[in-house]
Amino acid sequence: MSAFWALALAPLPLAGAVLLKRAWDGPGPQRPWLILGGWSLLILAIAASVPLMGPVRGPSAILAVGSTAVLVFVAAGVERRNARKKAVRELAPEPSDRRRVAWRGWLRGFLAGPLAGVAALGCGLAVAICAPGQIQSRMVIGGLIVPFLWAGGMAWTLSDDKILRAFAVLAGVATLTLGAAFLKGAL
Amino acid sequence: MDASPDKTTPAKTKAAGKPIWPKIPADFVRAMLAGHSALGLAFAALIYLVCFSGSVAVFTQEFGRWEQPQGPVLHAVSPQAVDAAVQATLTKITKPHDLLVRLPTPDHPRLTVHGDDADGGEHTYVADQAGRLVGEARTPWTEFQAELHTVLHLPRAWGGFVVGLTGVALLSSLISGVLSHPRVFKDAFAFRWGGSKRLQEADLHNRVSVWGLPFHLAVSLTGAFLGLTTIIVGVLALATFKGDTAKAYALFRGPTVADDPRPAAKIINVGAALDAIAARYPDARPTYLYVEHPGERGQHAIINVATEGRLSRGETVVVDGEGRILGEVGYESGSLGFRVLSAMTPLHFGWFGGWPVKIAYFLLGLGLTAVTASGVAIWLARRRDKGRPAPRWERLWVAFAWSQPLAYAFSALVSLLSSTPAPVVVWGLATLAACASAAFGTPAGVSKALRQITAGLLALVCVAHGVLQASAMADPIGWGIDAALLATALLLTLTTLPKRSPS
Repeated sequence: MSAFWALALAPLPLAGAVLLKRAWDGPGPQRPWLILGGWSLLILAIAASVPLMGPVRGPSAILAVGSTAVLVFVAAGVERRNARKKAVRELAPEPSDRRRVAWRGWLRGFLAGPLAGVAALGCGLAVAICAPGQIQSRMVIGGLIVPFLWAGGMAWTLSDDKILRAFAVLAGVATLTLGAAFLKGAL
Repeated sequence: MDASPDKTTPAKTKAAGKPIWPKIPADFVRAMLAGHSALGLAFAALIYLVCFSGSVAVFTQEFGRWEQPQGPVLHAVSPQAVDAAVQATLTKITKPHDLLVRLPTPDHPRLTVHGDDADGGEHTYVADQAGRLVGEARTPWTEFQAELHTVLHLPRAWGGFVVGLTGVALLSSLISGVLSHPRVFKDAFAFRWGGSKRLQEADLHNRVSVWGLPFHLAVSLTGAFLGLTTIIVGVLALATFKGDTAKAYALFRGPTVADDPRPAAKIINVGAALDAIAARYPDARPTYLYVEHPGERGQHAIINVATEGRLSRGETVVVDGEGRILGEVGYESGSLGFRVLSAMTPLHFGWFGGWPVKIAYFLLGLGLTAVTASGVAIWLARRRDKGRPAPRWERLWVAFAWSQPLAYAFSALVSLLSSTPAPVVVWGLATLAACASAAFGTPAGVSKALRQITAGLLALVCVAHGVLQASAMADPIGWGIDAALLATALLLTLTTLPKRSPS
């Protein structure tokens, strides 16, 4: 039955994408309505999936099937560029040009990898041990925030030019959170 | 994501109006792009491998059926048949530590019993409608591809950690990619092909990234969590249980039965246990069960039951040796933590919404694989545009990217034809050989040659499977996968045909 509803609802996000594409194609008096209609259809698809497929399963299924349908729609509208025609001046942002210094590279790698990981583990552990609530919920939520915070720490340390600041923050967070967790020491 | 807009159609891009996304300072975007590039390059090969193998792993059950298409195909079995299959297995494996019984489900319409013999050898017996054992399952390629995705064929703890770390790197790339892409809405539909290699790859990279973002976030977060579980639980146990991880895991195990190795008066009746489950959970369907310590006084069954409409692996119920229900773990009825944990695996693999969701996960997974490949291609094209080309890396990356479909197809072919297959060895050698092709020709030539070989191998897999199994193909999925493989081979061949350039 899930398969049927996932397919039956797929036209809604697709229609939403069509409206958004029409709004994207050019300005006009209808543009705000097209944007509103497009987003409304996307939200409607997710909302309709809740009673039909379940409160978590429905939206998850529609996000997957809807994303695929919209990607196919976007791919179908592919525009062929002339390979011989040279592109005009490139205005795309370029990655910042950093001086290549070996110790900074190694330190940045250490911050993004082990240190951000330890800091994230510390935060997760602090939630699992010190936060209120049922033990298993604290453990799972604490565990779930570890990869998220680690990823965020990685993105930050790899992009922040001030690596000593990143080092200080991550070391401080790791010390505080792990200290709190090990001091309490019991679930 | 790459923040490269295309400037060949300025009038159209301008017509789209002002972006509704708040303006992000250029320095911030440039810094984020630098971090995004560094991380993407450092983990590119691992992310690519994990994404590609994950896309294939969505169809793990189907590949298992394809490798063993002779069935028997069962849609339901009686509790008595399950008990008969267990008792029959115990005559072949006399003192197993535990037995895993998989009951027929829509994804896996088989009754199988898995256990380890005294020598440590693993056996999976297939049973018929009455519970009679009719053969032994042999699915080496399915096991190979699943293990490649989950642990990269490394020791379990290390493999899980590396895959989890790759998930973290992917999640981090998503965060930095979104933050370094200020035109996320404005360019949402701009998909252009041809012309500048860099702009073409940037369009592919950005469109797939943006529209697949919910899926990318879900699989990277759940994958990182599943991979890092060992280390997270280890540190938690260190802080709270003096390093005893078993105590941490016990919080998620439900009622326990004391270990008592003395012989039991009679072996546990699994049929009676399933009857008790059916009476207690009339709306749920048993999907698999473990028979723990069969024949001992401490014998018991751990039965998984799935309820329609839930994104969950199912509830786990413990039944003692006398067939009494001792209680449930709480994966569906317990606190938020249990329910989130129970949703992780189906959400990660797309095993929750029938075949449309599986196909969507497969395509979105391949999309994420393409995003990874195009990310490196953008970096290489940028170097070339700046007058610092890296031709060896260009050839090697193209060769590596196309090595995986080739190595998968070749390992599947050898698995089908060999009586003692070692798919991981074949896969490793094929990957090395494909990467070695980078020494010859241009990137375009290497790519074309590897796609042609892959197409040929896929067609051979299809033919070999059809010929070997035609007389015993009881499960229609066998023909379905053969047809899909042939279609993929044809599609790949089409991509190698000469293209007409736009006038």
